[in-house]
Amino acid sequence: MKKVVNMNVDRSAVDTTEHKYHRGRVHVHSRAQMPEKQLFSFAEYHAAEAERIGYSKYSYWNSVWKNFFKKKSAVCMMILFVVLFAFTFIAPEISQFDANNLRIDNDLAFQSPNSTFWFGTDNLGRDYWSQVWSATRTSIILSVSVSLGQIIVGTIIGLVWGYVRKLDRFFTELYNFMDNVPTIIYMTLIALMIGQSVLIMGIAMVAFYWLGTARNVRNLVFMYRDREYNLASRCLGTGLWRILARNIFPYLISVIVLRLALSIPGIIAYETTLSYLGLLDVSTPSLGILLRNSRSFFLNYPHLLIFPASIVSLITITFYLAGNAFSDACDPRNHV
Amino acid sequence: MNEFERTVQGTEEFDTINGVNFWSRAENTLTSPPILSAKDVEVQFTLRGKKLTAIRKCSLTLYEGETLAIVGESGSGKSVFTKCFVGMLDKNGSVTGGSIMYDGVDLAKYTTEKEWRTIRGKKIAMVTQDPMTSLNPLKKIGHQIQEAIELNQGLKGKAAKAEAIRMLEAVGIPNPERRYNQYPHEFSGGMRQRVVIAIAVACRPQILICDEPTTALDVTIQAQILELIRKLQKELGMTIIYITHDLGVVANVADRVAVMYAGQIVEIGMANEIFFDPWHPYTWALLSALPQLGIKGEKLPAIDGTPPNLFNKVIGDAFAPRNHQALNIDFLEEPPIFDVTPTHQVKTWLMDPRAPQVEQPDNIRRLNNRSLNIDTSSIKLDHPHMHEDREPLIEVKDLQISFGSGKKKFVAVDDVNFTIYRGETFSLVGESGSGKTTIGRAIVRINPTSQGEIYFKGRKINGKISKELDNEVIRSCQMIFQDPMASLNERAKVDYIVSEGIINHHMYEDHADRSEKVQKALEEVGLLPEFSSRFPHEFSGGQRQRIGIARSLIMQPEFIVADEPISALDVSIRAQVLNLLNDLKKKRGLTYLFIAHDLSVVRFISDRIAVIHKGKIVELAEAEELFRHPLHPYTKALLSAVPNPNPYLERTKKLLVYDPSCHDYSTDKPVWTEILPDHFVYGNQKEINEYREEIEKNDIELAREDV
Repeated sequence: MKKVVNMNVDRSAVDTTEHKYHRGRVHVHSRAQMPEKQLFSFAEYHAAEAERIGYSKYSYWNSVWKNFFKKKSAVCMMILFVVLFAFTFIAPEISQFDANNLRIDNDLAFQSPNSTFWFGTDNLGRDYWSQVWSATRTSIILSVSVSLGQIIVGTIIGLVWGYVRKLDRFFTELYNFMDNVPTIIYMTLIALMIGQSVLIMGIAMVAFYWLGTARNVRNLVFMYRDREYNLASRCLGTGLWRILARNIFPYLISVIVLRLALSIPGIIAYETTLSYLGLLDVSTPSLGILLRNSRSFFLNYPHLLIFPASIVSLITITFYLAGNAFSDACDPRNHV
Repeated sequence: MNEFERTVQGTEEFDTINGVNFWSRAENTLTSPPILSAKDVEVQFTLRGKKLTAIRKCSLTLYEGETLAIVGESGSGKSVFTKCFVGMLDKNGSVTGGSIMYDGVDLAKYTTEKEWRTIRGKKIAMVTQDPMTSLNPLKKIGHQIQEAIELNQGLKGKAAKAEAIRMLEAVGIPNPERRYNQYPHEFSGGMRQRVVIAIAVACRPQILICDEPTTALDVTIQAQILELIRKLQKELGMTIIYITHDLGVVANVADRVAVMYAGQIVEIGMANEIFFDPWHPYTWALLSALPQLGIKGEKLPAIDGTPPNLFNKVIGDAFAPRNHQALNIDFLEEPPIFDVTPTHQVKTWLMDPRAPQVEQPDNIRRLNNRSLNIDTSSIKLDHPHMHEDREPLIEVKDLQISFGSGKKKFVAVDDVNFTIYRGETFSLVGESGSGKTTIGRAIVRINPTSQGEIYFKGRKINGKISKELDNEVIRSCQMIFQDPMASLNERAKVDYIVSEGIINHHMYEDHADRSEKVQKALEEVGLLPEFSSRFPHEFSGGQRQRIGIARSLIMQPEFIVADEPISALDVSIRAQVLNLLNDLKKKRGLTYLFIAHDLSVVRFISDRIAVIHKGKIVELAEAEELFRHPLHPYTKALLSAVPNPNPYLERTKKLLVYDPSCHDYSTDKPVWTEILPDHFVYGNQKEINEYREEIEKNDIELAREDV
């Protein structure tokens, strides 16, 4: 709050200096110095003075960052997330076990966290610490890349779908066709027919996730499609892609950013579901697979659930808060 | 004082016109008791942590039974000022100073909704601008009126319904019983506004505030609504405050006029005093900038620049930076209020005895002559279409444009023919929905055509054309849009907006060349070159419109379609844009298709005017010829409804109503006929003959007058 007030003071100080600069004559003479005769004589006319406008030095991205950094909670969560992600690379290094080469030892099964096994061990006696961190890394990389992929595909298709009237019918039918069959069926089919690796699942998720984004973007494009400035661009002979990129896309940034941020935890959750159903390859552990494996034992050995679940929650909350904050910051209505 | 005597003498001969006795009304107003008095009102808004002072110590006394008009441009605070009389300020705004005394209580001290409900609607009611948004689309019209009656008059059930029907009848809605059960979408814009008025007056308020009640309506409907409000005022003995930016409306309705600028009333007086004897430089500027008073071929006296930003503290006279006759003291101290006559107050240092003597500008004196019929015969008008070697730039032949197909097919434009010659300003005038914009867009190839041809320099440009011709048409035919707020991309810098065209067509060498071209274009429209790095939202309406013009100019076009370029602008800024368009025409030899809905505005700038009604052009003639000899009944109706910034003419005008059923086209089909050289009219053989007789009669009369 204090900061905000200070900023305003700064701004008004800038305004007044500009004021004085433009009105040199006012600054130089004050009432006391000016004889009455001069007071009541005609003043010089300055055309530039009359054209003076309100604000200046506005930059879109500067304002976005400034607004974003005002939201302390979101920034804290974001920092926490970055630390967490960095830690997924550090954690295996400081651990005495190699995540890719864990020994199965039934004698060590279900150990609670202790000085050797920092997160305890699982049902096969493997170190849980290294498993959790490598799973977190896999999950974050998978969800971020799937989210980015589906946002890029979805936005491009959504823009075209919304702007080009002739294609509306085609995409709407395609959407209806694909959306009416539950994604889980496609996923099962792909997993059974093509394979179960993380890469295949990632591509498959992008292939279906873009639908929702595209429809969302299309509906937003409708709001801007018939605005006069697009007509003006068409009058100037601007091509389709430039209109989409320069006239429409910038207006959607805040919504797209929000969608991106919310889809990251969404995809982690979805990946968990898929693993739970046994559609993911077990050889590369992800948070979902850890959760699936722990499902039969977590009532007796809660540490198996708590560690992966709290990381999933942390990621979800981070992207929810940061996504909302960034999306608000991207909305120029919130800029001064 | 001399001033006082002059005003009295000046008005004497016009004391009674058409039963309206202006001067005695003026005296009545001042002798009738004050009904509401606002003193030193200050209203502040908090916007993103910054304080905006929208009303700066504004005082106003309202007398019982009068009609007061408040004029000012957008942002002058005219709406905000009256909204605080009914406690309808937006949530982030509040009255931070002064008092509003009404009926023995200070309304400025009201805070709760409960307190306001004793006043709002019951004692002081409001009619807003847009009838689309002030009615509930899901409720029957009758119920909405009934609701207001039940809430505020204490009538219930049948009695309230009967009263609602009576109200519908009172506001001139035919078949009130049937209309009672209809929904808002079944009403036209004018009818909806009547309903809104019915709701407002249902509770017999003492004061009715009309906030731009006719701005969203066509001129012919506007005249009817004004007539209705006047009738209701007489019947119910209401006091009315009109808020408007249209000086024609003011001239029509107001007993007293207050001129607002930057949150203050800068001049207030009786209507005739404000129109014929104004003393504030802003009022002068406002009146002389009216296109109706302009002389063809001359520059309109425009007000440069933009209104002040009220986020900053205003020092001295807010108008000073834009005032060519500002005194040094205007920049230092706020002027006090001077009395010109007991009814006429001005807030300007020019009235101070120490100030230099100034005279009212020419245009004000011209208005003072109480005649807008400027003697045009003495001015030799030289129109491009009269030249022997006239070159047709755009030819439109039998054009038809329709939307949809099958049952839903709607023909927006039908049977339209005209030719635009190089170097002329050709105006297309019609009501909203008449298809004028559609024609303009068809020429720049945004709207497809369904029949007929459009030629540019003799080559057909509608339908499928080659890529090269398309590019050539894009380069040479440009468009200026109506709403400067909507026609600029808010997320792009001015630099990109202006250079968009040359980027598309690679009309520059390198980056430096491009920015130089942008700066040149900005300078040409009177903007500072440094503006190129800013975003559109930092500019005012007039500046934005000029950015839009710069954007089309950079393409070096030959022909520009100007789609209502001034109708969304404030009065003070209209003149700037019109002057700019005229200058560019001279400098670059441009040709314009000027689309407008207001005949009086286009008269000043047009060489020829075409009047369009329901997708058909009904009459086309040289501008002055059209004003002198309108033939088609629709043209006559349109001319009669044109608001005139002169109270005497405005109140004595006779309104003609156009009824399309007066044409009988069942057997005798109408044709587009050149009835006089370069004067076209749409009609069937019988009508053409009648028009011919009319012209002959006119000629004889003119000849007699000459003798």
